[in-house]
Amino acid sequence: MIGWLRHQKHAFTAALRRLGAQPVASLLTALAMGVAISLPGGLFLALGNLDRLAGDLPAQPEISVFLDAGASAAQKQSIAERLRQTDIAAARYVPKDEALAALGSAQDLADITAGLTQNPLPDAWVVRPQTASREELARVAAELGKLPGVAETHLDSQWADRLQAAIAIGRTGVWLLAGLFAIALVAISGNAIRAQVLVRRDEILVSRLIGATDRYIRRPFLYVGAMQGLLGGLAAGGVLTIAGVILRAPVERLAGLYGSAFHLLPPTAIEIVAVLGLTALFGWLGAWLSVTRALRQVEAAR
Amino acid sequence: MISFSQVTKRYPGGHEALTGIDLSIEKGELVFLTGHSGAGKSTLLKLVAAIERPTSGVVSVSGQNVGRLPQRAIPYLRRNIGLIFQDHKLLFDRNVIENVVLPLDIAGLDRRESLKRARAVIDKVGLLKREKANPISLSGGEQQRLCIARALVSRPALLLADEPTGNLDAGYAADIMAMFRDFHQVGTTLVIATHDDRAIAALGGRTLHLNHGKVQEGSA
Repeated sequence: MIGWLRHQKHAFTAALRRLGAQPVASLLTALAMGVAISLPGGLFLALGNLDRLAGDLPAQPEISVFLDAGASAAQKQSIAERLRQTDIAAARYVPKDEALAALGSAQDLADITAGLTQNPLPDAWVVRPQTASREELARVAAELGKLPGVAETHLDSQWADRLQAAIAIGRTGVWLLAGLFAIALVAISGNAIRAQVLVRRDEILVSRLIGATDRYIRRPFLYVGAMQGLLGGLAAGGVLTIAGVILRAPVERLAGLYGSAFHLLPPTAIEIVAVLGLTALFGWLGAWLSVTRALRQVEAAR
Repeated sequence: MISFSQVTKRYPGGHEALTGIDLSIEKGELVFLTGHSGAGKSTLLKLVAAIERPTSGVVSVSGQNVGRLPQRAIPYLRRNIGLIFQDHKLLFDRNVIENVVLPLDIAGLDRRESLKRARAVIDKVGLLKREKANPISLSGGEQQRLCIARALVSRPALLLADEPTGNLDAGYAADIMAMFRDFHQVGTTLVIATHDDRAIAALGGRTLHLNHGKVQEGSA
């Protein structure tokens, strides 16, 4: 056990020295990895932010039911009765005068509303169904739309739903991309380690002659691979930070044009740790594949 | 300590380096392997250290059938054998003491203890003043002594030397042979492949003469 710890420590310091001995090569490898990781990483962050934007919309989606201008009193009565059924949580009647008044006060449109000779707005109900699931909302909206005297219904959550669906596709895309770039990471690491193994061929041969196990020889390379991966993850963090700084102002300007205080959020600590852990793991894996193969070749060439 | 029984080594391509060798070397013996180059001296040493495997026959070291040793057991066999090479096989990316400490690192010894032992061995071969030097700056004789220090540092019971004085002038060669005599006197088993007749004459001991893959017992 103590011997094992000593070996780990020895391999760890040896790996640090090897990385430090080739700063430019290490840096370039880390950069290549960083760029590779920053693509799925950046997409993941963008989706997270979009998701949050969708989540900012009213938690309780509402259905606007606009009445026909020529709806009879009896029709209005039956609509009101329908809205008292159990699948409706709340329903608020908005007469057209009230709607016009609200419009006039709310959005500096007083000039326009004042110029109107007659009220163009319809009477409306704002309806909140009992359950907020997408299927239920669509069902209620469709049913209300068929009532006589109803001009049209408008599902306020519609575009949020569409956004959610688009994000779901994007999320699948992130995983696909992440899988691809994980393979790229393994390849980059494996290639870097292969070059190192070739450089250290003599050391490997001599170590074997004086009793080194393959595990002893492999260990520092694995540490180098993991460190290389970790550096790649950090490089990706740097790339994304720079991208975030560049994007922040335009995104906030766009959000401001829509009257939103939306701004980009950085990843959480857990996400950062997870990404660094994964990059280290894939760096390690690439090193393992490469070293194991190279050791077999050195053996054959003996 | 070492016994060969009907050992044949044929290399790919058909060259037969050793043919039906029988021999036995006792613990604590000093044995010279002689013979013209290509007679199979190096092959014999490689079989003992499991660097090569016999085509047929049994090579046994300390009771272990070396030819049949599984790959993963070979490192542990080698840790008990000190190997001295004609071309030294030093690592030029590290200094003298780091070269000597390598076998102890491999064995997983405490670093401070390892350095202490390495320094003691380096002192014994007379390189203490050069412990921080890069081996590439050492003379041929010094490099050979460094190689010996590395072979000795793990205190092996068996020392195999392949032409240890092959590239050295007479003065250095005598130094190194004197060193081997000291190891022999403290009980180390030594097998030295050489064609340096003066050294054999100076040290005495048993001589095995290899000729076209066959072994003949002789004495100096």
